[in-house]
Amino acid sequence: MSELRAQVVATAQALFAAAPDWPAIVAAGFPLLLVPESAGGFGGDWGDAFAVLQVAGAEALAQPLAEAMLAAHLIARAGVVAPHGLVTIGSGGGTIRAGKFTGHVAAVPWGRVAAQVVATIETNAAEPVLLLLPAGAVTEGASPAGEPRDRLDYRGVPAVRLGDADHALYGAFLRVGQSAGALGAALGLATAHVNARVQFGKPLAKLQAVQQSLAVLAEEVAAVQMAGAAAAAALDRSGGAYEMMAAKLRTNMAIHRGVALAHQVHGAIGFTQDYPLHRLTRRLMGWRSDFGGDSWAEMLGEQALSERGAGLWADMVRRGDG
Amino acid sequence: MTAVFALPPHVPPPGTAALRSEIRSFIAANLPAGDAVSRANSWSVADAGFSRALGAAGWLGMVWPRAWGGHERPAMDRYVVLEELLAAGAPVGAHWIADRQTGPLLLRYGTDAQRQKYLPGMARGEVYACIGLSEPGAGSDLAAVRSRAEKVPGGWRINGQKLWTSGAHRAHAMLALLRSEAGSERGAGLSQFLIDLDTPGITIRPVINLTGEHDFNELFFDDVMVGDDALVGGQGNGWAQVTAELALERSGPERYLSSHALLVTLIDAARASGSENAALRATIGKLVAELWTLRQMSMATAAKLAGGEDPVVEAAIVKDLGNDFEQRLPLAVQAVLDLDLDGSTELVRVLSHLLQVSPSFSLRGGTREILRGIIARGLGLR
Repeated sequence: MSELRAQVVATAQALFAAAPDWPAIVAAGFPLLLVPESAGGFGGDWGDAFAVLQVAGAEALAQPLAEAMLAAHLIARAGVVAPHGLVTIGSGGGTIRAGKFTGHVAAVPWGRVAAQVVATIETNAAEPVLLLLPAGAVTEGASPAGEPRDRLDYRGVPAVRLGDADHALYGAFLRVGQSAGALGAALGLATAHVNARVQFGKPLAKLQAVQQSLAVLAEEVAAVQMAGAAAAAALDRSGGAYEMMAAKLRTNMAIHRGVALAHQVHGAIGFTQDYPLHRLTRRLMGWRSDFGGDSWAEMLGEQALSERGAGLWADMVRRGDG
Repeated sequence: MTAVFALPPHVPPPGTAALRSEIRSFIAANLPAGDAVSRANSWSVADAGFSRALGAAGWLGMVWPRAWGGHERPAMDRYVVLEELLAAGAPVGAHWIADRQTGPLLLRYGTDAQRQKYLPGMARGEVYACIGLSEPGAGSDLAAVRSRAEKVPGGWRINGQKLWTSGAHRAHAMLALLRSEAGSERGAGLSQFLIDLDTPGITIRPVINLTGEHDFNELFFDDVMVGDDALVGGQGNGWAQVTAELALERSGPERYLSSHALLVTLIDAARASGSENAALRATIGKLVAELWTLRQMSMATAAKLAGGEDPVVEAAIVKDLGNDFEQRLPLAVQAVLDLDLDGSTELVRVLSHLLQVSPSFSLRGGTREILRGIIARGLGLR
């Protein structure tokens, strides 16, 4: 890890562990991590973002950092001057006439408190467009973890076009980063719990069945951390769509298997409001559906089926070879 | 946050693409005609001609010193060659053990005389080795080995039995873990010996596996006399050496690429028959995601090993996840395609084969339970 990244991670750890409010996160500069220095940002790379998001996931940070980080990146990439206040991200549909947008954006993280939204919008055109929208009329909703997921409705509001890019894959990557941290933290809680909890006259950790369960959980944590780190490396080389899809799919599998095991070894203790495991696992289970969920599998499969079987391997290794 | 696999992704160095196209050209020119069943068995299929051709082209003993017939290439170059051979389903079984673990063990622990005797032949693809670990009473519990070597003037007298020895019937030598100190227990008093299999007193008998194939053997030592020069490494150091050997055995790409031929055949069959559907696409997409992740984990682990470190826990993680992936592969095919398992097509033949043999993936080279025990130790639970 570079010295700079180690520093950023250390700052994030200290700050996020203290359950900061949003202004504290803004003051520390984290939302501008992926904005180039020339645009007034921090100039971090995707590897830095992955590292910071892992810390956010591990600390169950209940703030829209991932969303704001990506929104700021997309705005800077389009060469638009960054607006003030929280900018979050979302997807929706509608029409654009003479630069005015009428339609909606669904399930927007922290939509109710956002000043603006970067939204991928489906219109009648073949490809979606990426728009920067102001605050809309809010219908409140909530994720499984109880975080805001709000519908925003618009009627003839001015929209700034940021390009044609679909941000969903980048959103998927954000969730991989958060999941890597959260699943790792769940493993940490589970390990501490089985060492401390005595049943049958000994710590649960001494039971072979429990050891084997935690080994599988550790394998899943390893898979997500590796997939996320490799996807970040691919993004930093250029490209990365294939890798983000693969990483999100693998992460979804790991959450399915890992969350169940983390809860299993905790027994009823892990199923209470007081015990911190649910702050990780409820978010993890919800993140499986965010930004494409398992639907990326069809796209990745279609890509594989577009060439002969032998092409699958050639295509996979070509992406990493120097 | 707990991490037991804090490895950075391996970035293949410049020149990797060129190396890859070089080994692909070799494979295209030398791969014997065979069906997908053979390709799905890659590192269990022995073809001495193919191994000699690999050796002649410099693709064996790649990282070993030139003085012993090697080519002094970086370890990750060898990794690229291995993954290309496995992805193509090349018959690499004859030389596999010698190139993967016996040769490297000799380089680490052997004498110059032992290196001179074995390594050049191994690098030519002419001298093959087998693994002498399991015994009737020592499977997962390897420290229970009872086969013994007794010190006698000028050498050692060996008695006992090894079991489940893959390829002993075509190997020239066995690297055997033996109890060299009478009355010793568990990991103490064990030593490794490299024993020529044409030595008098050795009997090798086939153990036919469940599909009717001959891969396993049982091997009996009956007052077998070997010289002092058969001892590899330190007397009594066998347990530590075997641990190092197992890291070599578990960290390679063969732990997730054994049955790659099934995925290749599935895609070809789906394209040819027009049986593409949404479920098939999604299944293949998820398998690709797993394959890609496993490859990243395997490369990172191999790179750690190449850097001189001992990735015992990481290797166990890659092997267990890889085995699980490869055991679900045939089931995933069954889930998305209704096939008559009558042997009539290549896809059906390779699927039928893997349905039978895939349970062995989590047995060979360390059982699932042993691997998870190693990981649990890494977590501080044992």
